[in-house]
Amino acid sequence: MNTVNDLRSDQERIAWNQAYARLQTFLDTFMLSDQPVTAQLALRFLDQARARHRENPSQEPTNLVMEQTQKHLIEWLAQNLDESDKSSSQIFSSGCIALFLSRMPQTAPAKFLASPLPDNLRQSMRETLLITGPDFHISSMTPRNIDYGPMLHLARQTWHRWNSREIFIALCFWIAIYFIFYWWLSSIL
Amino acid sequence: MNTVPLETRTGTRNAFFTCAPLSLTAAGFVLLLRSYSGQQIFWPDYIVMGLFPLLFGQVVIGFVLVSSGFFDWLRGGDPLHIMRRPWRDHEASAPLAATAIVIPVFNEDAHRVGQGIANMWRSLKETGQIEHFDFYLCSDSNNADCWIEEECVWLKLCQELNAFGKLFYRKRRHAINSKSGNIADFCRRWGKRYRYMIVLDADSIMSGSTMVRLVRAMEANPEVGILQTQPAMVLGQSLFRRMLQFSGSLYGKLFAEGCSMAQMSSGSYWGHNAIIRLAPFIAHCDLPILPVPHPDKRHVLSHDTVEAALMKKASYEVWVTYEETGSYEEGPPNLTDMLTRDRRWCAGNLQHFWFLFARGIQMGNRLQIWIGLMSYLCSPIWFVFLIAGSIGAYERARFTIYSAGPEDLGKVQNSDATILFIMTILLLFMPRVLGILSTLPRRREFGGGSHLLLSAFLETLLSMLVAPILMLFHSFFVVSVLLGWQIKWTSQNRADTGLSLLHCLKFYGWQTVLGACGVTLAYSSLGLNFFWLMPILIGWILAPITAWITSLRNVGQRLHSHGLFVIPEETQLPIELRDLAYAGAPDQSSDITHLWPQALLNPYVLSLHLSMVHQRLATRKEGQTAQSLINLRERLVHEGPLSLNAKEKMRLLWDADSVFWLYHELWSRSESSLHPDWLEIQVESGKKSLLN
Repeated sequence: MNTVNDLRSDQERIAWNQAYARLQTFLDTFMLSDQPVTAQLALRFLDQARARHRENPSQEPTNLVMEQTQKHLIEWLAQNLDESDKSSSQIFSSGCIALFLSRMPQTAPAKFLASPLPDNLRQSMRETLLITGPDFHISSMTPRNIDYGPMLHLARQTWHRWNSREIFIALCFWIAIYFIFYWWLSSIL
Repeated sequence: MNTVPLETRTGTRNAFFTCAPLSLTAAGFVLLLRSYSGQQIFWPDYIVMGLFPLLFGQVVIGFVLVSSGFFDWLRGGDPLHIMRRPWRDHEASAPLAATAIVIPVFNEDAHRVGQGIANMWRSLKETGQIEHFDFYLCSDSNNADCWIEEECVWLKLCQELNAFGKLFYRKRRHAINSKSGNIADFCRRWGKRYRYMIVLDADSIMSGSTMVRLVRAMEANPEVGILQTQPAMVLGQSLFRRMLQFSGSLYGKLFAEGCSMAQMSSGSYWGHNAIIRLAPFIAHCDLPILPVPHPDKRHVLSHDTVEAALMKKASYEVWVTYEETGSYEEGPPNLTDMLTRDRRWCAGNLQHFWFLFARGIQMGNRLQIWIGLMSYLCSPIWFVFLIAGSIGAYERARFTIYSAGPEDLGKVQNSDATILFIMTILLLFMPRVLGILSTLPRRREFGGGSHLLLSAFLETLLSMLVAPILMLFHSFFVVSVLLGWQIKWTSQNRADTGLSLLHCLKFYGWQTVLGACGVTLAYSSLGLNFFWLMPILIGWILAPITAWITSLRNVGQRLHSHGLFVIPEETQLPIELRDLAYAGAPDQSSDITHLWPQALLNPYVLSLHLSMVHQRLATRKEGQTAQSLINLRERLVHEGPLSLNAKEKMRLLWDADSVFWLYHELWSRSESSLHPDWLEIQVESGKKSLLN
């Protein structure tokens, strides 16, 4: 019985270690300039996930901790950008761009995912705006007719009417005629 | 100031450019016919006589254009040229107008393109006129890595240069009609916002002062539709590229000057490094459909020449500003890359045949179309000419030995053939001599007089080796185009990556075999006369070696260190090119397959990509994702990023829901549910990002 329990606790420890490593890597992608802050955040989310895991042990630790962290991230971004009416994907995209452009993870790493966010930081995030292209001023650009002149008429009378099968038959016919003629000339000369 | 209208002052010039090539070609043809006098004429001789005017005419046209350019250089420039008109007196006070700088890209090195944009931005800023210019990076890339990299480079540039609202990125979902379609797409969407558009290639660089001057020239001359600069080839490292840029610097200007004299306001447009008046371009220059039966072949591949012809047809002038400096491009790094480009250009130029006889096209544009057509058609004609000439010589030798009487033997030698030979050599080499003469006053910029002459000599030797190789490939291209084989639009390799010897043997080895067979056959049938064919046959025999050696960076660099193939831009590197000096070096550290997954794992790269896709597409309602997309997502998660092909990657990246779903899943799933590659890429994306 002890062996089974040891095995289970070993598996659990490995699973939580993997969850912690994943969370740490995930937070690293936000390029916070303060490593201890990243570690603190990771531990905070891990503790919260452990608490929830005790309530529902069937859920896999990596899955649990990452879902919880991503959910928190979206909520935090929505709250600070005041964009709760948009979809998660839209909140995430405008929020992370705002983070990147405001350089908040580098200048104020301790405020990352912190609530409430100081007004000046919230303002700097809201001020960022990404313009990929100016407003359209639609123009109509269509080809004008061009008279291709005599070559088009010539092509229509000849090349455009050809088909490979007819050319092949004609070629075979004339080669045959040539050989018959050649054989006939050779025999009489 | 001369007030006589331009048209009436060009009569003599038109007469000269019509009569001089015709009379020189006629003189050569008469000499050829006279060289046959008193000799037995065989059937191949009729082929030689038939093809001679076409080939000789092409040599003559080159000679006449370069000689005219030399004459123009001697007198200090063309007084009728647009850049020598009175507006130059008060140029500095001339106002500017809204101008878009449009850079179409297709699977290019985004970092190199970004560096170019940054340099041009800074150069424009120095002029103090940047408020009149906006940049548009218009992408048709169908490679997921290139797309994601372009987005990141764009954002970093906007941030570094504080260019938000001035530098824009546009990605087309469907790359209809390739580059011309990309430009047309820009014109349709934003053309009305600007009076002018400066079109650049991915490797093009223009200095700010040149761009400002082009806009002022357009403002001062409202009758001008297109103003084309003559870009100098720069930044070459391999011997091949250095050779191209050296010959361009040495002979290119005289040729362009001569062309400009001949064409005047019906000048050429080369598709990049040019300024275009947008309103007439939008109104008149959308490419017409070609009148061919096959629907897939109705699109004009090589758009620039046709656009110039259409602009002129709409009564707007097109000029080449051959004297302007500050316009640069990069050439192909090796022979194989040049041939890949030539395959495309050949198909495009042959399509121009339809416009040669189209109504309303100006004579200058017809001349341009003719030169473009003949630049490729000459190869098969030359090839047939050589074979026919050799068979003719063989027949004549046999006749002389077996059938000729004593009275025929003396007639074989005649002076007309010698005169024709000397005339051909002069016509071929005189443009080179004139190019060197016109450069001698600036010899210091080319590394000094002796280096200049030695480089020109080596360049001539290398050109003689390369010409027969090109003849065979171009002949093949022409035949393949005429047979209707499909041409793919491929991105151009611009990095100075050398070719492997194995590749050269595989790709050019057949020419060696052909050359060896040719030597044996020619020697056995022509005797010592086979030496006349040796310049061609040696070129074929050495083809793999020539291709290999010329592609090597270290050979080019070593020659450069000895002062050979030096160009003025290397003697004094323009500020716009400074940061690009090492752009050609391949980045060994980058792992291309790990770029696009960053859009699925890195929050900043992902959010940038989502912003782009969100702006373009309405978000789909939940539960409406196609089953095929769901299958793709699952395959990607379980089988890793290498499991998808190029099209599947692009399809996924265009779908915002799928991209966001993948971000969530790739971070949330346990190790056992993910392909091992993802774990590695996760760690990588935590360490370095495309946006760092």
